[in-house]
Amino acid sequence: MRNYILNAVIFSSLLSLVACEEKMTEDEIARIGIEPCRKPAKFISTIGFDPSKAAYSTSEQNIKGLTLIQLPASGDSIRKVYQDSSWSQYGYMSSITTDDNGNAYVAPIPFVNTLDNTLATIHTIYKVNNENGKMELFMELPKIDSIAGVNPYGILGLYYDCHGKKMYVSSVGGSTQEKENGSLYVIDIASKKIIDQLKGYDPLGLFVGGATGSKKLYFGHARTSDIYSIELSKDGTFKGKPTIELTLDGVGPRGMDKARRIRSDQYGNLLIYGIDFSYNLAAQSNKPESRYQFGYNREDKKWILMKIE
Amino acid sequence: MRFNSIQFILISFVFLTSCDSNSSKSSSSNSEKNLINESLILPDSSSVLFPLLKKRYETIEAALSLPIPIILFQSNDSSLVKAQSLALKDKRFIENLVDKKTREAYRNEIFNIYKARPQEVSTANQNGSVYKIEMYNYALNLTTTAFVDITSNTVISVNTLPQSQPDIPTYLKDLAIQIAINHEDVIKALGYKPGEQEALMSNTKTALNNTKCERSMHLCVAPTFTVKDKALWVIVDLTDYNVVGIRWTNTGTEQKTPVRISEKKLKFDKIMECYCKAVSNLEKNDWNLNYVITTSDGLRISEVKYKDKLIINNAKIVDWHVSYSNTDGFGYSDAVGCPEFSQAAVVAVSDPKISDIIENGNTIGFALEQYFSSEQWPLPCNYNYMQRFEFYNDGRFRVAGASLGRGCGNNGTYRPVFRISMAGNENTFSQFSKNNWATWPKEQWHLQSEQDTYTPEGYLYKIENKQQQGYYIEPNRGQFKDGSRGDFAYMYITTQHLDKDEGDNDLGSIGPCCNTDYHQGPEKFIEPTPENINSTGIVIWYVPQMKNDDTKGKEYCWAESYLEHGVYKTHVYPCMAGPLFVPIKK
Repeated sequence: MRNYILNAVIFSSLLSLVACEEKMTEDEIARIGIEPCRKPAKFISTIGFDPSKAAYSTSEQNIKGLTLIQLPASGDSIRKVYQDSSWSQYGYMSSITTDDNGNAYVAPIPFVNTLDNTLATIHTIYKVNNENGKMELFMELPKIDSIAGVNPYGILGLYYDCHGKKMYVSSVGGSTQEKENGSLYVIDIASKKIIDQLKGYDPLGLFVGGATGSKKLYFGHARTSDIYSIELSKDGTFKGKPTIELTLDGVGPRGMDKARRIRSDQYGNLLIYGIDFSYNLAAQSNKPESRYQFGYNREDKKWILMKIE
Repeated sequence: MRFNSIQFILISFVFLTSCDSNSSKSSSSNSEKNLINESLILPDSSSVLFPLLKKRYETIEAALSLPIPIILFQSNDSSLVKAQSLALKDKRFIENLVDKKTREAYRNEIFNIYKARPQEVSTANQNGSVYKIEMYNYALNLTTTAFVDITSNTVISVNTLPQSQPDIPTYLKDLAIQIAINHEDVIKALGYKPGEQEALMSNTKTALNNTKCERSMHLCVAPTFTVKDKALWVIVDLTDYNVVGIRWTNTGTEQKTPVRISEKKLKFDKIMECYCKAVSNLEKNDWNLNYVITTSDGLRISEVKYKDKLIINNAKIVDWHVSYSNTDGFGYSDAVGCPEFSQAAVVAVSDPKISDIIENGNTIGFALEQYFSSEQWPLPCNYNYMQRFEFYNDGRFRVAGASLGRGCGNNGTYRPVFRISMAGNENTFSQFSKNNWATWPKEQWHLQSEQDTYTPEGYLYKIENKQQQGYYIEPNRGQFKDGSRGDFAYMYITTQHLDKDEGDNDLGSIGPCCNTDYHQGPEKFIEPTPENINSTGIVIWYVPQMKNDDTKGKEYCWAESYLEHGVYKTHVYPCMAGPLFVPIKK
């Protein structure tokens, strides 16, 4: 299985070298990550939820797995929570992303302990079917080597890019204090194949955007407070090497936050959700998180910190 | 941290362990690792009460007794004084000055008042009469800012920013430097007292770097002393007025990127390098042992010898199970261990400590202790655990642990899973019952209860070899003068396997949080077919059960915050558990 994936990755990389790269227009690039493109799942309306007010969550207190929540609207004080029977069977979950058909993808995470998920099970992506809402195995990433000193985490970020129709997966699986062994994967969701991989980085939160004039994958670095970017081709494969785009070092209440989640507002500003991350299973009742807003200065070609919340 | 007064009355001197003073087997060789090894974590260090600090405490106490408890900004500039006065009259600005429940005053201080910068106010307010006032609340780590117009006598806006700190005023910078240069460990590290000899050291520069105390959420700065191509970072806590720790860094060509030393970095780097990656050796009195902080099984001692005889292969606490009785199945199974790259839910935040055990003025042994703490402890749903190994001069030893609260409720039961692998491969295990010792023929478990009978000395079990050499085991029934209320422990005995791992290596989580019966994890090495344990290697699993209590005056496995000098401190009520092993004398 591993050889097959490796061969697929090599083959894909060779293809990208010989094929002519399709060009993108400036306007097309500028809209990446900003333009709404995701549809709500069809099953949501069948369970009495309003699809426009519902959202998936993996962080409901005392609920294992995935939930669907509907925030109270004005005049309605009830916060509705739904969980399908298949959504808790694989333990606690971390990052969620949805595609342009309304399918959702989630990955398991060890929470407080490794009773539900060990290294053997955390390199797995599950899919919640848009039609019936059932969670099922989507695909498995290469197994994590359980060497001494390896950290307990695997997949920590999922992001589906509607523009290139690819899913990006960040994993710190296999990393030890001495060696940064994490990877970024590019998944073609139609074929369930890894079509590109970047090794040697421990990535956290992911986002694909075009605010700087290039289509880039932004990723938080788990070992530092830096946010890296790597340029992407139109079809979503990697071009070149990652570079540091901006940093959270020294800013915010803790001064050493790591980017857990990255998103954009409608103006192309980056919204970065920063937390402390130390590759342990320390859980707090109320984990402090700050939201950092960065705007891009096209003249200086630099991200400027605008706000911390 | 203040302990309940009846706790640990036997302890006297506490020695901090360090990488280079303990026959460490660390293989660190490069410069950066050596600098980490030489760093010092200084928990609860106290500063010399030099005149400036004494005056500071007087200022604080005076402010705490004021109707509006604020250390005010001192200035002869009438505009600044007026700006301050306007802010103090605004209810929003003075909303967080006292604890809302007890009405006790917090330590609040106006750090800065200055004419508002153009980018800080709207165009309409850029008339030159708008001032910004910044106030810091030390107890809540909260900054309150106000913009006031001294011409129109109005408060334009008030904002509060939790977990934030304004720039500190000059007199606090001076105080931080004074705390640093008067600290004995700083003087020792530099080789001289910087304040007195600075003029003679032309190559020494002092700077005040920004830093963070991310875990304590205190106001911290780092006076940094540069000597040749190295810099000594001294992290000074301006909430508690002490030194949190010190660390050298390279400043020369060797250093690729500038390193910023914070409280967390200093602590985590030191613990990882010295106690997680390296096994330390301790030789004291007639005892010799190794110890290491594991990734998920807490502090592990191993190769424990008394008078050169191997007594224990290894001992540790595998898990802490915490269950709450009001919600079925609610609780946590916490592993404790290294702060990074670990399965620990509650992590080590200090060095292991070695202390003498004193009784009636005589040193009768020593203890090795390690604390593990959640970042926001003692806030609810955060935990603090302690491991303690006691070694007595007469050959007795105790494997113990304590919860220091506070957890998610006052109806919690803590069940730490001790694993003690005893030396020897021809051991038998017996239980005292009805005036006789009955040998356990096979792997099994037993729950310590009121129906048990003990020897006159208080022994319930014994482990011995063919030569009748071994140990009596005295479960804790509250007789150890440590405030404990007894263990009510499950005792499991399993065979030692050399061909398969049943917990010699790190175990991760052995069982779920909330089983209230014997299903705490070790039973999986017994069932379904218990093995013969007559004359074999034996592993002892011991799972005490401690129920917490928040009743005033009876607190147990608990922690409470209280205000001292206007900032929160913690009063802990540990619940100690663990058996004493007493050598069998023929």
